[in-house]
Amino acid sequence: MTQQPQQHAFNPYTENGGTILAIAGADFTVIAGDTRQSEGYSIQTRYAPKVFKLTDKAVLAVNGFAADGNMFVKKVKQRLEWYRHAHAKDMPIRSIARLIQTMLYARRFFPYYVYNILGGIEEDGTGAVYSFDPVGSYEREACRAAGAAQALVQPFLDNQIYFKNQTPAPGTVFPQHLPLSTVLEIVIDSFTGATERHIEVGDGLEMYVVLSKNSNALQGLRADAHSFQEVTSTADGERVFVIRRDLKKD
Amino acid sequence: MDHFPTNWGRPRAEGFDAYATHPIHQRPSNTPRDAFSAGVQRTQQPIVTGTSVLALKYKDGIMMAADNLASYGSLARFKDVHRLQAVGTNTIVGAGGDMSDFQYIQRMLDELVIDEFTAQDGHSLGPAEIHEYLSQVMYARRSKMNPLWNSLLVGGFTDGKKFLAYVDLLGTTYSATTLATGYGSMIAQPLLRKAVEGREDVLTEEEARKIIQECMRVLYYRDARSLDKYQVATVTAEGVKISDSLYLETSWSFAEGIRGYGAQTQ
Amino acid sequence: MFLTRSEYDRGVNTFSPEGRLFQVEYAIEAIKLGSTTVGIKTPEGVVLGVEKRVQSPLLESSSIEKIMEIDRHLGCAMSGLTADARTMIDHARVTAQNHAFTYDENIKVESVTQAVCDLALRFGESVHDEEAMMSRPFGVALLIAGIDEKGPQLYHTDPSGTFIRYEAKAIGSGSEAAQGELQDKWHKQMTLKEAHILTLRVLKQVMEEKLDQHNVQLAQVTPGSGFEILDEARLKAIIEEM
Repeated sequence: MTQQPQQHAFNPYTENGGTILAIAGADFTVIAGDTRQSEGYSIQTRYAPKVFKLTDKAVLAVNGFAADGNMFVKKVKQRLEWYRHAHAKDMPIRSIARLIQTMLYARRFFPYYVYNILGGIEEDGTGAVYSFDPVGSYEREACRAAGAAQALVQPFLDNQIYFKNQTPAPGTVFPQHLPLSTVLEIVIDSFTGATERHIEVGDGLEMYVVLSKNSNALQGLRADAHSFQEVTSTADGERVFVIRRDLKKD
Repeated sequence: MDHFPTNWGRPRAEGFDAYATHPIHQRPSNTPRDAFSAGVQRTQQPIVTGTSVLALKYKDGIMMAADNLASYGSLARFKDVHRLQAVGTNTIVGAGGDMSDFQYIQRMLDELVIDEFTAQDGHSLGPAEIHEYLSQVMYARRSKMNPLWNSLLVGGFTDGKKFLAYVDLLGTTYSATTLATGYGSMIAQPLLRKAVEGREDVLTEEEARKIIQECMRVLYYRDARSLDKYQVATVTAEGVKISDSLYLETSWSFAEGIRGYGAQTQ
Repeated sequence: MFLTRSEYDRGVNTFSPEGRLFQVEYAIEAIKLGSTTVGIKTPEGVVLGVEKRVQSPLLESSSIEKIMEIDRHLGCAMSGLTADARTMIDHARVTAQNHAFTYDENIKVESVTQAVCDLALRFGESVHDEEAMMSRPFGVALLIAGIDEKGPQLYHTDPSGTFIRYEAKAIGSGSEAAQGELQDKWHKQMTLKEAHILTLRVLKQVMEEKLDQHNVQLAQVTPGSGFEILDEARLKAIIEEM
């Protein structure tokens, strides 16, 4: 078998802009992304979702090369369905994280050019965020931003979630976990800020909220603060909501 | 023993890599290789090309337009090329990019529609299905590093719903109320958005035609690979209609006054 | 027993006009020649016990291996043509490891049982170009014991690829008497210790030789320690308690 040498003028990749992030709370997780899809200076569409509900306890945000991203999500969903048929249960988020690693690493030498953030509820009921690089390195974290405006958003989250470069008032300590209302405010501020300073971010914002069984995270919210749309599909106890907002379109 | 049930019962292949130790596109291939296989060429660049395709949603459905030119580099080589193609009864596909690749896509779609028709199983291919199919083909070809060098718009109308989406040589897809490929995405798209966004359910066919014509005119003025001869297609509840070729009225008298453009001596 | 042989005995994948696959049925018969094997599920874990037939005083009884580990949370006891079980257990082990690698969790007991049973029916002639894996059905039945999120479980598999979950199950030559005894003595709130003793009592009843720590083997799967084969010292202690 002789492989003839070839030069390739064809570049199979592009970048489609946008930004995603996820923040884990004590018994909830928020996973968010803007809805703009762009290439260079052109806005291709103002509404192309980057955040996808996988199960009632796992939501996946995908950012980078949109064609790879859509194909990857399609394949993950297919694997989740096969797993459900083979093992008669929804895949736990920890297993989804490992599955995503193996799927990404399987393409080590022709990678899916996508950054993944997986958010949801762990088997023990705690909020979880898993972040990945394009070839499958992953870790569990409390929060993570990725995509075009990662460099703008991640330092902001470090400051607001991990309280980096802040000192607590004398006699007080920083909280381990923030309430849902605060987390949503931080997410909204992150995206309005990124929209302001990055041309590839804007148009719309989709925030998925995943609640643990018997979570009372919603009780801390003002009734009129956000328009929640419930998208839960099973009666297992975990609940999933979407909040949609406008971002500046310029 | 092979521990992967998905491989059981499959033809045995010596080169088959059951444990996926090779990256997918580098796996040993069992397809016959002969003296001619070295002559297989992949599209590295488009040769005979079509320029922009425009499309918008309006009250009754979608409208799409493309000119009749296929260029060979800067040469206006073929001037009666049809870049809008009806697929089935309620879908239209418009193509920019390599015209031979588009002809291949047309053959593929014709075959697909015939297969679906002969099945007589009560299914019919709508615009969403055609677009999904094209997306999978385009993405699969880019993944083999052997792309179909096109930007395609797919428009249609089924069950009272308008459909309009894009797919290109990388497999990138998206959908919006107005779409434009190639040069049109820079020049016509802002004009289309200004005229259409938020009005897609009230815009009449007449208004839509005017917007499309104006955009085609601007493109003809600014895009050196365009032609003043073009076609407009609509897909509505009544089905697909593709017009005969239309001509743009243009005025070039302003050029007289531009230095280096008209007949100045120096 | 089956004195009327027919042409339908020949092909392993040929149904008889009555709709039977004789070779599979004969394979199930082969298990009845095997040594008695017992499994008992309790809320504290699952116990497996086998009889080792020591046919000669020169035989090293410790070399008879009829209980094997599949994964830390899964064990398996066999009866019949025990050599056939190697292929099945090898497959079960790879499937369990593969699952742990891909999903970062223990495979469920039912899933690993299903995987073994998928293998059981892959016998017969090969079609053109297709890989034939086995020429005949497996001649072995397994008791698969394990613990997962659904708690302790015990499964029985046979050469037809059928699997059924049991509270307590006996297979092999003495299975009829043993199963009757299990039905009498088994109760829902059995402790692991009671299960050890019941297993040995049932084996003792059907064994020709006098039961001692050399001619039986006992194993258990518990939430704390996973799968373990009880060593002769522990076995001896339990035998003395009987």
